Amino acid sequence: MKINYHLLMIAFRQLLNRKRQTILTLMGISVGVMVLITAVSLMDGLLQSFIQKIVEIAPHVIVSGDKVRPTVPPQLVEPSPGTRVDFIKNVSRDEQDVIKNYPRVMDLISGDSLVQLVSPSVSTDVIAMFGTMSEPIQLFGIVPSLEDGIEKFSKNMLSGNYDELGKTPDGIMLGSTEAKDFTSRVGDRMQIVSPSGKIYSVRVVGIFQTGINDIDDNCYVNIRLGQSIGGFSPDEASHLYIRVNDLPKDGIVAKSIEKETNYTAVTWEEKAASVVALFKMISGIVYFLVVFVIMVAGFGVANVLITNVLEKARDIAILKSIGFRKREITWIYLMQGLMVALVGSAIGCLLGYVLIEIMSSIPMASSSAGAIRTDRLMMGKSPEYFILASLFAIIVSLVAAVGPSRNAAKVNPVEILRGER
Amino acid sequence: MNTDPVIKLEHVRKELSIRNGGEELVNTILPDISFSIGRGEFTAITGPSGSGKTTLLYLMGGLDKPNSGSVYLDGEEISAMSEEDLAEMRNAKLGFVYQFHFLLPEFTALENVMMPLLARGRAGVGDARKRATELLSDLGLSDKLHNKPNQLSGGQQQRVAIARALVNRPMVLLADEPTGNLDSKNAEVIYTLFSRLNEETGQTIVLVTHDDHFAGETRRILHILDGRLDSDRKLR
Ligand SMILES: Nc1ncnc2c1ncn2[C@@H]1O[C@H](COP(=O)(O)OP(=O)(O)OP(=O)(O)O)[C@@H](O)[C@H]1O
Ligand SMILES: [Mg+2]
Repeated sequence: MKINYHLLMIAFRQLLNRKRQTILTLMGISVGVMVLITAVSLMDGLLQSFIQKIVEIAPHVIVSGDKVRPTVPPQLVEPSPGTRVDFIKNVSRDEQDVIKNYPRVMDLISGDSLVQLVSPSVSTDVIAMFGTMSEPIQLFGIVPSLEDGIEKFSKNMLSGNYDELGKTPDGIMLGSTEAKDFTSRVGDRMQIVSPSGKIYSVRVVGIFQTGINDIDDNCYVNIRLGQSIGGFSPDEASHLYIRVNDLPKDGIVAKSIEKETNYTAVTWEEKAASVVALFKMISGIVYFLVVFVIMVAGFGVANVLITNVLEKARDIAILKSIGFRKREITWIYLMQGLMVALVGSAIGCLLGYVLIEIMSSIPMASSSAGAIRTDRLMMGKSPEYFILASLFAIIVSLVAAVGPSRNAAKVNPVEILRGER
Repeated sequence: MNTDPVIKLEHVRKELSIRNGGEELVNTILPDISFSIGRGEFTAITGPSGSGKTTLLYLMGGLDKPNSGSVYLDGEEISAMSEEDLAEMRNAKLGFVYQFHFLLPEFTALENVMMPLLARGRAGVGDARKRATELLSDLGLSDKLHNKPNQLSGGQQQRVAIARALVNRPMVLLADEPTGNLDSKNAEVIYTLFSRLNEETGQTIVLVTHDDHFAGETRRILHILDGRLDSDRKLR
């Protein structure tokens, strides 16, 4: 069957005849599409900006001291009937996992042409004290010149100068969260209590803020100081941070490092997996709720069509009596559903676009809630949102139109023509 | 005149039931009626109100099916056709004027008349418009082409309905009281048109009328009484 112009005209004029109801239905679809687009943009924007930030300032691969293969086989005795084997603990260790002779391991890793930069670090859980306050913090010992290539501190300094850290053997750089907690400023002296109970006096040389709350919780000292606080020997490191040249290849790099060095190498995707999964779950819930808005709009479409079919039974009878077949009658009402959906989606897309623009331009008080810190809403912008939302509205409307259209096709002309006098 | 029947009814029985509360009342409208109408015949069906004329016309047009018996149109048994084939057949071979001139309210007179041509893409929009304009002018409505049905008088609506029935040059025209709403002058216009069509193009015309004058203009009168063929008179 050809998509005939006159069928469209019949569909269109019948809709025009019920202006008020049609407009209400259009509004329902428009609002549904708008809300869906905005929600997708919001959720996608958050996730994208989170990933972008991480990729920018987090190591792409982290090598840590854990051995890839356990040194003790998990099962020492084959259980057989009548015997029972109890393990209290499979492996016990008192020492931290460390990378031994890290400069050699670094050389080995740097040999890979995909690796851009390797930076060593030692981490220790310590107590920091300032004035009357004390708080447990995670202290990292780093080589400032190398680490800047990974975490980009020099670009994110709130106060002080990042270069000072390298020049000051007893210098400490505080994350903004810690600095706020301690109310300490550049130049202040703080005390660090090591796990073995020794007290070190350090001087604040800088305060940084990356926007990723996990990093802004940390404090950094030079690797030498970090090693002596944590009880590491000078050739030991707890992690090697790696930045790769070509991001999608970080998995390959991690694998080859594990093979060559026998140390565990984790990519940022693996580290961030739980956060990303959480994001996806939240977006899933949001989409689910928004999808209901469009479903309700679908009821509106069904409603208009049902009324039209009931009210136009006489016209349907006439059309059938002058030679319109069932499929053409069905088509007329499916077209009505489609028209409402198309116009509604178009308006919804327009409204959604405007809403995204408005939302992404509203300045917001910096908030540390969530995983990242922003000064405005980061909205995703992609034509996909519009296409997906419109498609969804169209499908819902067409599904809603199926029932009424079929009823229209079932109209028996004689019954109607006899009854109408 | 060719006597090869274009419409044939064989022992047609038609019952209509009305639901009255829980019980169903079956009315036998046409107990058993048989007749045939030849190709090119101009026939009038007369009879008192409620005698079953409209019912008969619906059966001849394939809009309704008999309870028993058969209806043939142009050699095909339409009482056994599927609904889809009937729609096709109506569009190709039949023009129908209803007793209560049903027009599509959203469309102008011209568009209403064009609709049967467009329904199956039998003509392009341009040709359909030309043909519809001609017909409406023949029926004295050349200045009402763009009026919607609610902007037309009852008689004008009737004439639009007649134009719509004629627009696809049907083999058979079935008209249920086509002059019911018309003054004698306009009734005369319809008459003349029908006679001319019948004579010039050999179109088979069956019309229901109460108007003895109009009936007398035709070639044959079938008189129906209580659903039975009371008389069958050939004039001329
Ligand atoms: N839907 C229906 N259900 C039951 N009976 C009906 C129905 N429609 C019509 N009838 C009955 O069928 C009979 C024949 O009706 P029909 O319309 O064929 O009469 P008619 O000869 O065309 O009358 P008129 O000249 O008044 O138009 C009438 O007695 C009428 O009451
Ligand atoms: Mg009647």
